[in-house]
Amino acid sequence: MAFPDAASRHTATPSPSALPGASEPEAAHPADGDKVAVTADLLSTWLGFADVQRRTLDILRGELTRTSDHVESSTLDLSDRFRELAQKALDQSERVAEIVDKAGSVDIDGERVPLDTLVVTMQDVITDMVTNIVTLSRHAMSMVYLLDDVQKDVAELEKSIGDIDGINRQTNFLALNATIEASRAGDAGRTFAVVAQEVRHLSRSTGDLAERMRSKVTAVVKGVRNGHDILRQIANTDMSPQMLAKERIDKTMESLVEQTAHFQSVLQTAAAVSSDMSATIAHVVTGMQFQDLTKQRIEAINDSLVIMGAGLGELEARIRAEVPPGIGVREPQEWLDQLLGRFTLSEMRQRFVRKLLLEGTALDENGVLDLDAGSDGTGGDIELF
Amino acid sequence: MDYGIEVRDQEAVVCLRGRLTFNDHGKLRTLIGEMGQNRARRQVLDLSSLEFVDSAGIGMLLIAREEMANADKQLILRAAGGQVKRVLTVAQIAKIVPIED
Repeated sequence: MAFPDAASRHTATPSPSALPGASEPEAAHPADGDKVAVTADLLSTWLGFADVQRRTLDILRGELTRTSDHVESSTLDLSDRFRELAQKALDQSERVAEIVDKAGSVDIDGERVPLDTLVVTMQDVITDMVTNIVTLSRHAMSMVYLLDDVQKDVAELEKSIGDIDGINRQTNFLALNATIEASRAGDAGRTFAVVAQEVRHLSRSTGDLAERMRSKVTAVVKGVRNGHDILRQIANTDMSPQMLAKERIDKTMESLVEQTAHFQSVLQTAAAVSSDMSATIAHVVTGMQFQDLTKQRIEAINDSLVIMGAGLGELEARIRAEVPPGIGVREPQEWLDQLLGRFTLSEMRQRFVRKLLLEGTALDENGVLDLDAGSDGTGGDIELF
Repeated sequence: MDYGIEVRDQEAVVCLRGRLTFNDHGKLRTLIGEMGQNRARRQVLDLSSLEFVDSAGIGMLLIAREEMANADKQLILRAAGGQVKRVLTVAQIAKIVPIED
């Protein structure tokens, strides 16, 4: 496996100022044949750079995997929550629809009666009631007029009984006179005296009858007067306020129906909104499938990074094998500084430092890091800054 | 309640004033008698000056209508307002007696 221009490619990526060796003319002009002249300084720089670069690639791979995992778990979590939300919105919409359905009717003896039907029924009942009041009032007044007449007739009757008494007194007086005249006539008037006596008996009977009639008529008069008084009380009870209550009830009913219709329309809108919300959330969940694609892309990038890292490692090993033992590895300090400057997230910076510093060569010579590795050295929490 | 009758060619107009209640039943009976006596066929009750009518008053108006029908006359209620108009409307009197504005 060979990467002939891996070194030049890698040295070309960072800015020239970060890699002091890259600008040397020897590296850019190969000599004849297989051998080229390279300064020890350049080689040591390249080796240091290759070491850091290989580790950096590892770190990047780790970070990408970590990022991909993080996005995946977060996306799954979000999708679950959104699904839950969509379900709740759907439940809500169903509940509201149920209310809308029930709002327009009431339960009477286990039967759902539409509100407008109920209102019409109740209005009919009240109309009947008012009609009954009117009919009763008319009949009561007819009765009042009838009893007015009866009272007049009964008064006439009382007067007539009085007249009978007058006539009876006169009859009795006449019979008495006839008796006196009959006794004066002696034997001749004897039979006449008997007739006069019978007339007096008759008059007494008539008087008794008149008395009995008066007593009965008095009872009738009393009864009629009582009835008349009661009827007057009934007829005098004004029911017009009860009749006018219909106006208020009608208005109340209308308002009730109107209000219910308004509630229904508002609730219908609410149900539609909940339903829309649920659909939108479903779209959001679908939209979150971008994560799958992202994951695949990151895996592809990671695979490339593995190949690149392996190539670099192999090349580094080959070069190290050919380099004389005297030539050491020089840390690309400025480049590292620039790289570290990019990692502003403390947690990420920590992982980067751990990888480079604790697994690689010493790094904090010129105070790039402010590392407190006092706790347990390699593992655990390493606080930076 | 008190009233005044004005007999014209075609109709007799009776103007009722004040409050028509049960206490006026005697007076109304007299009025019904007078209405039956005059020559006009249309007997109009002008209610514009009537302030109040109770349920007995409504009953008496219906009796008046009946009496007019018996005398082959027509009773018409005219220009009711306020409480009187409201009660007439609620009682649906227009179904029985013609009502004019």
